[in-house]
Amino acid sequence: MKREMDIVESLIRSAGRRLDPPGDAYRQVLASATDAFRRKSVRRRQARWFALAAAIATLVVGAVLMMQWNAPAGRGDLASIERATGGVELAHGDGWQPLDGNRGSLGTGRRLRTQPDGRAALRLAGGASLRLAGETEVLLDAPGRIFVHHGTIYVDGGVRPGADPIEVVTPGGTAREIGTQFELQVAGARLRLRVREGSVSVDRGGRSLVGAAGEQIEIDDAGSVRRSAIGPASDAWAWAEAVAPVPNVDGRPATQLISWVARETGRRLRYESPAVEERAATVILHGNIHHLPPLAALEAMLATTDLEYVLEDDTMEIRARSEPIAEP
Amino acid sequence: MAELVHVDRALARRILGGEEAAFRDLFDRFFPRLYRFALARVPRDPEAARDIVQQTFCQAIERLDTYRGEAALYTWFCQICRNAVADHYRRNSRSARRVVLLEDLPDARAILESFAAPEADEPETGAIREQVHRLVEATLDALPGRYGEALEWKYIDGLSVREIAERMSLGEKATESLLTRARESFREAIAGIF
Repeated sequence: MKREMDIVESLIRSAGRRLDPPGDAYRQVLASATDAFRRKSVRRRQARWFALAAAIATLVVGAVLMMQWNAPAGRGDLASIERATGGVELAHGDGWQPLDGNRGSLGTGRRLRTQPDGRAALRLAGGASLRLAGETEVLLDAPGRIFVHHGTIYVDGGVRPGADPIEVVTPGGTAREIGTQFELQVAGARLRLRVREGSVSVDRGGRSLVGAAGEQIEIDDAGSVRRSAIGPASDAWAWAEAVAPVPNVDGRPATQLISWVARETGRRLRYESPAVEERAATVILHGNIHHLPPLAALEAMLATTDLEYVLEDDTMEIRARSEPIAEP
Repeated sequence: MAELVHVDRALARRILGGEEAAFRDLFDRFFPRLYRFALARVPRDPEAARDIVQQTFCQAIERLDTYRGEAALYTWFCQICRNAVADHYRRNSRSARRVVLLEDLPDARAILESFAAPEADEPETGAIREQVHRLVEATLDALPGRYGEALEWKYIDGLSVREIAERMSLGEKATESLLTRARESFREAIAGIF
């Protein structure tokens, strides 16, 4: 032990006092580190505040909706089911029943959910289109107000002059469309908003954000926000296009179908020339194209006309067909 | 060690809670040690050492919520500092000279023993002494709490147990016990290297 003690003492004495760092280095590093510490503290305080506010908002919204959850349905029609594929179920009492042939109107307090393979398209009372991706559960809360418990929805507000905006309430915040097409994904307090057209405001924990067309906003559990770009014609919208309710085009001018397809696929519509636009207005379509995605429907219906479409980035151009149509 | 980590976790929590006094306490304890740690790896370049320590503190504060207390907080800072040193060499690859530290040498025990001998007159002794000096410095820096200071006060300043006790606001018995543990920790740390 004595020998070890001597080595310790000898080493420390021989090495001498440790170097003291220069004072200016101390001051400079202290200033930077203090700045980093204060910024970190502010961010953490904000995150805690937003999480608390979101939790309170969730509790309030949850309590209100729980009261409505068990309320008798059917006090006024809020929506009708236009299209459903795969597993789609309606709440009945404490259980769920497959939609099957029941595609009538849905009143206040009705709950609808989709299985992983399920997709549904609803027409809301004001005329807007609401679509549900797989594994989604919604409640029709009031005229123009939908509660999304979880999953992914797509709203196409359409052109509804003077109509009230659609309000989408979620556990993680409330989104309001302002004449637009958008998708909202809900997972607990996490939100992902994709705006295809117009703009959407999101209120969360006392803070309001606005997403513009072509923007994706992700808000995590702590309220941190990440913005990125998403094109209106991106493949990300494909699921909503696939479940789009196809309008009745039998006996209608081709311009109606063309406008619908352009909107559904997020593309600007352009005619090759005024003459081509006039031509499209005089072509009357016959038959229907139910259950086809928009572009496939357009291709099928234009096949028997002297018009064709060309896609260029975010634009769909209608042109006179370059090759004459073969006689049957 | 478990107790130290527990204390470090509590300190990290106080800093994350926005307690500036806790941050300042950590800074004042770690800055000189990390500066020496960095300077040993970028010899004769005090500006680079300062920048590395600055980067270390900023990154460590930013990532402090990921500190789980598996190791002492100072060890965790040292790991971040090592990465900052590696970044420094990557950025300055043309002028980079690899620094070989004493603890990396295969015959380190022989070097230490020759250093511990009363006098040596071999021509390489100066370089070896410099490395051993750095090693002792690093070992004292790595000791927990105020062990390093207590050992310096005793062996370099020649203070009595009572004087050390006054400086540390401890009783004499507690100071004796602390010095025993400090010596033991130092010996174990050195033995761990060789």
